[in-house]
Parts: sequence; structure tokens; C-alpha cells
Amino acid sequence: MASLRDIKRRIKSVRNTSQITKAMQMVASAKMRRAQELALRGRTFMSALANVLKHLQDTLSEGAKSPFLEQREKGKKLIIVVSTDRGLCGGLNSNLLKDVLQRCDAEADYLTVGVKLNSQLTRCGRNLVASFSIGDTVEEAELKPIFQFIRKGFTDGTYNRVEVIYQKFINVMVQRPELMCLLPLAPEDLLKVAEQDDIEDDTNANFLLEPSPKALLDSILPLFFGHQLVQMILEGKASEQSARMVAMKAATENAKTLIGELTLEYNKARQTQITNELLEITTAMKAME
Amino acid sequence: MALHLKIITPMRTAVDADIHSVLVPSVQGEMEVLPDHADIIAAIDNGELVYRPVNGAPESLFVGGGFLQVEGDLVMLVTDTVLKAEEIDSSSVEEAVARAQEAYRNQSSVLSREEQTHLAAAIARQLAMLEFRRKKRA
Repeated sequence: MASLRDIKRRIKSVRNTSQITKAMQMVASAKMRRAQELALRGRTFMSALANVLKHLQDTLSEGAKSPFLEQREKGKKLIIVVSTDRGLCGGLNSNLLKDVLQRCDAEADYLTVGVKLNSQLTRCGRNLVASFSIGDTVEEAELKPIFQFIRKGFTDGTYNRVEVIYQKFINVMVQRPELMCLLPLAPEDLLKVAEQDDIEDDTNANFLLEPSPKALLDSILPLFFGHQLVQMILEGKASEQSARMVAMKAATENAKTLIGELTLEYNKARQTQITNELLEITTAMKAME
Repeated sequence: MALHLKIITPMRTAVDADIHSVLVPSVQGEMEVLPDHADIIAAIDNGELVYRPVNGAPESLFVGGGFLQVEGDLVMLVTDTVLKAEEIDSSSVEEAVARAQEAYRNQSSVLSREEQTHLAAAIARQLAMLEFRRKKRA
């Protein structure tokens, strides 16, 4: 049996750990609320934008020409992996990695947002070309280099397809890895984002377009794909914070049970020690008589 | 018959109301949408938007650039900025304009073409904001 002092030391260290996990849980839940709100608000905007773009495409049908819509044969695939910067968020990143390895091309180039999966990706032989890390607030200035990288790679023909894999925020307990095609924009994806089933049937192709179809497309497409990426990063952030909160809550609870068990053991050990001492005293007294 | 107006920004749904008509600053000039308007998708410029709710007085807002879609009786405006007159702080906007213009003049040689257009657009937007504020205060 471990000595009293050992058990006491263990109880103390578990208690310290539980204080840390408790604090992390609080921080994560505060951040989660904000991130969740941002992600959910953004969805309305995206679905509205997708709705407009869908109508625009229906109206233009064949005539729609923009580099962002072009399906090309030549070029590589770029896959953007939205992971987290920090760990301690349960199985979030390992689940994402599993999905990446299963569903994504091994030949493609990889770009990561959040540095946590970098080493794993390279170890699995994926070609990592760039890695960005984005703060919790998701500032425009931080995103600019990413856009520039994607835009340049796509317009100069290095990449013919840009896909994003991220943890979609379903609710606090559930986050699901999702693979979305960012560029070129495909009508099916638009419908998915628009989240409106009623619009595809009435292919209302009679919109007037002002000022001109080309000008509209040129301005709405970059806006759309930019916001789409932002939205995915926001979803990733919301997932990260909620996963972390849940993980830390479990850790705190585990620590509590552990402390309970250890305290029991401690008391038992103490009692045995006292009994032993008493025995010794009585034996000594008996011997003196 | 009334129209339904929705103004959506990345941060919130700013307006969601039944209206009689709405006046929007399209890139080709101001445009008024009344009931039974033809379906249209139009690009929107920085400027003032006025809508007449079914109940109550006309309201006026500043909108940043974006898109307008009229489909049947649903008018949807997707933009990145919507502000009421009292939400615009003239002094801080004036300062921002001054700073931006300074940067634009001094560093136009260093900035890439893309950055220049971006900056110019930002200045135009701030100026439009100021103009709107001035008008409302008068």
C-alpha cells in the first residue's frame, strides 16, 4: 500500500489539475458562446448570398463566364484543412485527420488553418504548402494572405480545384467533419449553402440584371467565396471551443471522482496506521506486565 | 399588397419588415422598388436607403455596397454594412478618411494596384457615410 504522504501528494496534484481544467472549461464556454453566435449569424448571410447567386446563375445559364466558375482539367487540387491552433479539445483534431486521410487525395497540396495538424499531415506524406493561424476573432487582416494565396493559385492555373475540410458545428456535443468544394463554384454546392429546397424547382430564370451580368458576377463571386471560407473558419472555431468545453468538463469530473477514490484510500491507510500503532502500544504494555 | 424587406449582413439580419416601398442606391442610380416590381438582381452602391414600413414613418439607413434581389414580393438586400444615422460617429469617420487619404497619397507607389483600389473604395464608402450623416443632421 502506498504511504500516506504519497497519497496526499497525489490528491494535491489531481486537485491542481482539476482547477486548471475547470478554468479552461469556463474560458472555453465563454468563447464558445461568442464563436457560436458568429457562426450561426453568418449562416443567414451565406444562405442569402447563395440564393442571389443561384438565381443569377439560372438567369445566365450558359452565358456565365468567370475564372471562378471554370472547370479545368489541368492543375492540382488544393485542400484547406481547418484545424485548431491549440490542443486539449477532445477528439476534434484526430477525427478531422482521420477524415482527411480517408476522403482527401494524397497527391493534392495541403494548406492548413490552425497549426495543430501540420506534423501529422506531413508524417502521413501529404504535401503541406502553407499554414496559417487565425485568432479567435477572425480578423479580416489575418485572412487576407489566405485569400491571396488561394486566388493566385487558382487564377494562374496551379490549382484547378480548391476544397475545404472543416468541423461543422452541429451543436455543443456534436461536430461533424465536412468536405466542401470552394472553387470552382458548382450549382449543387450553392443549393447546399442556400439551404432552401424550394428554390431549385421554380427555376425562375427571368431576373433583370443590373448593371450587367458580367459586372454582377465579377463582384459577387469573390465576395461569395471569401465569405464562404470565413464562414467555415468560424464554424471551425465554434466547434473547437465547444469540443474543448466538453472535454474539459469531462476532465474536471474525472478529477473529482479520482479525488474521491484517493481520499477513501487515504483514510483507509490512515486508519490502518492508527490501528497498527495502537497494536504496538498494547503489545508493548502487555510485554511490560 | 405589401412587400417584405430583408436586409442581411454577416453579423445580423438588420431589417425584417413589411413595407410599402423601398428606395435603394443602385450602382446605376437610385431605384425605387414598389409592389409588383419585376424580378431583378442589382448591384448596390454605398449610399442612403429609405423604406416605408406598413406601420410607421419612413426609415432611412446607410448601406455599404452589396446586392439587391427582388423576387415576387420578397426584397432581399445583402450587404456588409448597415448603419442608422445615429450609429455613425462623424468625428471618428472623418479621422479615418483623413488617414486613408494620407496613406493613399503618400504610398500609392508602394501599394499594389489591388490595395490601391481597395483603399479608394474604403475612402469612397467613408465619404458616403459622412454625407449621409450630414444630411440627416441638417
